[in-house]
Amino acid sequence: MLITQDLVSFFLFSLLYLTISIPLVVAYRVTKVINFTVSTYIAYGAYTGVMLDYYLRRSIGGNYLLVTAVASFIIVGAIGYLSNLLVFKPLSNKRVKPDVLMIASMGLWIVFKYILYVISDIAGYFCKANLVSYGQINYSDVASLASRLGLSGVQESYILFPLVAGTSITLFLLMLGKTRVGRAILAVADNPTLAALSGVSVSRVENLTWFITSGLISLAGVMWTSYSGAITPEIGDSLILQAFTIAFIGGLTSITRTAVGSLLISGVENFGTDFLSTYLGVPASVKPMLTFTVLIATLIISPPLGAAGGIPYRFRRGRRI
Amino acid sequence: MIDVASFLTTLGTYIGIYLILSLTLTLETSSGITNFGKTAFYGLGAYVGAVIGTYLPLAIYGGGFSPFDVNGIQILLSMGRSNPMMDIGVFALSIIVGFGAVAALGLALTYPIHRVGSSLVGFTLLSLGEVLRLIYLNTSALGESKGFMGIPSPFAWVKDPKLAGLLYLLVVLAFAGITLLTVSRILNSPLGRILRGIRDDELVALYAGWPTVLVKARILALSSGLTGVAGVLWAYYFTSINPNMFTPSLTFNIWAMIIIGGLGSMAGGIVGTVLLASVDYAMRFVVPYIGVAFITPDYLRWIVVGLLMIVVLIKKPEGLIPEKQTILILGEGEGGDSK
Amino acid sequence: MKITVAQLGLLLIGLVIGLPLGYLAGNFSTPSQTGSAPASQGREYLIGVTLPLSGELSSIGKIWEKVVYLAFDDLNNEVKAYGFNVTFKPVILDDGTQDDKALANVQSFSQMGIKVVIGPAASSQVKAVKAFADANHIVIISPSSTAPTLAIPNDFIFRTVGSDAKQARALATLAYSQGARTVVVFHRNDEYGNAFASFFANYFTQLNGTKVHDLPYQTGLSDYTSEVNALASKVQSTGADAVVLIAFDTDAANILAHAASSNVLSSVRWFLSEGPHGAQELLSPTIGGFAQKVKLLGTRPLFTHNPLYDEFARKLKEKYGVEPTVFCDNLYDAIQLAGWAILKAGSYDGDAIRSALVEVAKHYYGPSGWAMFDENGDKANQDYGVWAIVQSGQGYQFMDVGMIQGDTVIFTTTPYK
Repeated sequence: MLITQDLVSFFLFSLLYLTISIPLVVAYRVTKVINFTVSTYIAYGAYTGVMLDYYLRRSIGGNYLLVTAVASFIIVGAIGYLSNLLVFKPLSNKRVKPDVLMIASMGLWIVFKYILYVISDIAGYFCKANLVSYGQINYSDVASLASRLGLSGVQESYILFPLVAGTSITLFLLMLGKTRVGRAILAVADNPTLAALSGVSVSRVENLTWFITSGLISLAGVMWTSYSGAITPEIGDSLILQAFTIAFIGGLTSITRTAVGSLLISGVENFGTDFLSTYLGVPASVKPMLTFTVLIATLIISPPLGAAGGIPYRFRRGRRI
Repeated sequence: MIDVASFLTTLGTYIGIYLILSLTLTLETSSGITNFGKTAFYGLGAYVGAVIGTYLPLAIYGGGFSPFDVNGIQILLSMGRSNPMMDIGVFALSIIVGFGAVAALGLALTYPIHRVGSSLVGFTLLSLGEVLRLIYLNTSALGESKGFMGIPSPFAWVKDPKLAGLLYLLVVLAFAGITLLTVSRILNSPLGRILRGIRDDELVALYAGWPTVLVKARILALSSGLTGVAGVLWAYYFTSINPNMFTPSLTFNIWAMIIIGGLGSMAGGIVGTVLLASVDYAMRFVVPYIGVAFITPDYLRWIVVGLLMIVVLIKKPEGLIPEKQTILILGEGEGGDSK
Repeated sequence: MKITVAQLGLLLIGLVIGLPLGYLAGNFSTPSQTGSAPASQGREYLIGVTLPLSGELSSIGKIWEKVVYLAFDDLNNEVKAYGFNVTFKPVILDDGTQDDKALANVQSFSQMGIKVVIGPAASSQVKAVKAFADANHIVIISPSSTAPTLAIPNDFIFRTVGSDAKQARALATLAYSQGARTVVVFHRNDEYGNAFASFFANYFTQLNGTKVHDLPYQTGLSDYTSEVNALASKVQSTGADAVVLIAFDTDAANILAHAASSNVLSSVRWFLSEGPHGAQELLSPTIGGFAQKVKLLGTRPLFTHNPLYDEFARKLKEKYGVEPTVFCDNLYDAIQLAGWAILKAGSYDGDAIRSALVEVAKHYYGPSGWAMFDENGDKANQDYGVWAIVQSGQGYQFMDVGMIQGDTVIFTTTPYK
């Protein structure tokens, strides 16, 4: 079993999952929507990279991470904001059940995914290239940063992942903890009524949360472009399975538990597959089962209370059921 | 130009199978069970039907042929064409065993999932569907990635394909009718009120003395069993199955149908199912003639369905035909909720 | 218990919605005399095409769509040049790489009166449509399904692609001749991958001093890092000197990109099946460089020195800006065969077209070579070529560097210094 390479993958994937799940949990706490559109945020983030890469390579000969990350954040943040404005807010004003919001997010997921297919189709027609599947992207500014740090031989994603994940998560957590805006967001997350009474504009906070969290999740897509050999509109779909498992492990409330969940899932996937394959001869094709096993195990050992939990357990003991 | 009879037969068969799925889902949601894992039950039913439909005839034939081998499959195909009794018998057996096996799965699942909230229940059942799919994919006795092929339709012996299609449609509609009757009886009975009580506030229901877990267990067993029957019908319609048919997207389609129609309302579920299935199938006839040379017209089909869902949800979140709200009026005789 | 009249009424209304929609669509379509009137002027024949334009094979499907347009243009020009006053028109539907949608598409085609369908792409989809096609006498021509269990005679399923058993043998020959003795076969856990891997293992173990280890990976995932890590561990623990990769395009691109960062995997030889060939993602700097390091070679079905193939590739690039990818030539030929079979049959009827198809294929040589079918309706003969990823200018490109005849490999150029 090759520990070093597993360790490296574990490290990379933990960063990726953290980038997705922490904004996801905060978004849920504020908006109370289980949002499947997250898959398209990731895909749109990646495709912002693809489109910029195609365009920039033709015009100035190289692609820049900074440009891509900022563009992706703004574009996908706007998409998140608009989805709230047009779909989620009107629905929650009508006081629908949370399941309905979840289904609405699934409808949006389908719509956005196929709009992305249409866009890449049209762009492919004009560029005379196939944009529905695109190769790995190399970023010139990351390469020059690497050489400045003396790390020229290292794979680009090893530098890009910590850079993007570290910056975005640190800035996000700092914002939540230290700034007035951040504290307003946390206040609304905990108790909207009390927050409103304290003078916080709840709807402004919600809009801001949609914008910021969607934009942050899209950065995972940007990270992905430097890592995967093929980028298609479908890439978000299997990442969200892990993201939601992690979020559920965290009970959709606790950021710390979510972070632990990210490390856990990433570890199980990377070390677990290798271990099972090397020592037990189990084919690598059972990797998806590992995530589910962790989920089921969590349900049995430590079922989350809070948003995802059911009836508080103390009411169940001793009842005749 | 367009073979209308055949079109209606095919459309009717799809609608019939989807109706069983959406009616059972309506029953489940009316009891507070958010089942995002319909494919788990459905897939199991299909596999039960496939196993019985291929291993049994080959065992009768003798000679130790495998259902995953070209020779075995050719034997299945020729047996299917010439043995009416075997075709119908195998089919009937599959329905019965399918119902039983999947109902048992539903029963077994109630206990782990009743401890957690509705969204986690949904996600867990979805994961279960994926786990089962992976088990099918990695078990050689179940065909692994090849799946099953050559499952004999109960009317494979009928020479005229259109007649065979029509007969199968009637069988599917019969089962849809049974499901409709069952769900309707339950929802419109005092048991139905109990279910809605559990859905609306399980804590209160528990305090009111109703055995919530037992009730949910029975409902989940029944609706899972019927879902398993739908799975068997599917397997015998396609005559070949493989694990990749049972992915989560099917479950989401069914949810879309009942949400658009109206959550909790049976008539709504029927309307939603018929509407979505019809639009999806009928658009196949329209789509190739519209659209631009460089955009795939079929993408528009997906976008239309998604937008339809969202628009209906926003305009009428209760759906096209909402659930009738029961209003408790004191002093009213037979309809009151007093116990 | 009440099934209200209202509910029944709604059900009927719903079914009735479907009918006018279908009828409207029928009126929408241009009048297509599907074989009713005797020879008059300007007849139009519809040919159904079911493509994976979304879902797992969408990257290949999009390119295939362009091939379909090219093929129909060429077909129509050619029949006009021969003096037939006939136009063939494709009716394209997306089946999302899913089996139930493929069947619904074929059913729709049948209800539109279409008797010949090109596609579906995946073997599982072909299995799903087989019963319907056989019962309703619809000719199905798949350009890419290779499952051994579909090699059934006297049905309506035809496949313009050869069985993978022969290609596996070619790949085994290639690997052995390049010095591979202990290999790990890293393959898709689907019908294509499993069948190919087992054929390969059969042939390779018959050669002297060889050992094969099997490692399947789950398909449809968006990333294969942990699988590649497991592969590296296996290579190290078994002391393998080569990896045989049996994959499609997007998964191969993902896998190779990850393999490039592994020291263990960069120091063994790599041999690929035809799936990844033609995929532009493999020409990225990472993978291109990796290919040079491991002297990557692959096999693919190819009739070498086939000017028809070169011309086909050139036209596709010119008109639509895409390079042909896997099975594009088989698809092109499937369409040509379908058109000529309809003409030869004389009537737009499933049985007549089926017999005509077998005859037409005997004399047809196209970009995918000789199209003749065997008794099961599958491509009878196939040669195999060797391909590599070579440096060209600032980037990389695919190049056919040799061919495999029987048990010998003949290189026409040296791909790697």
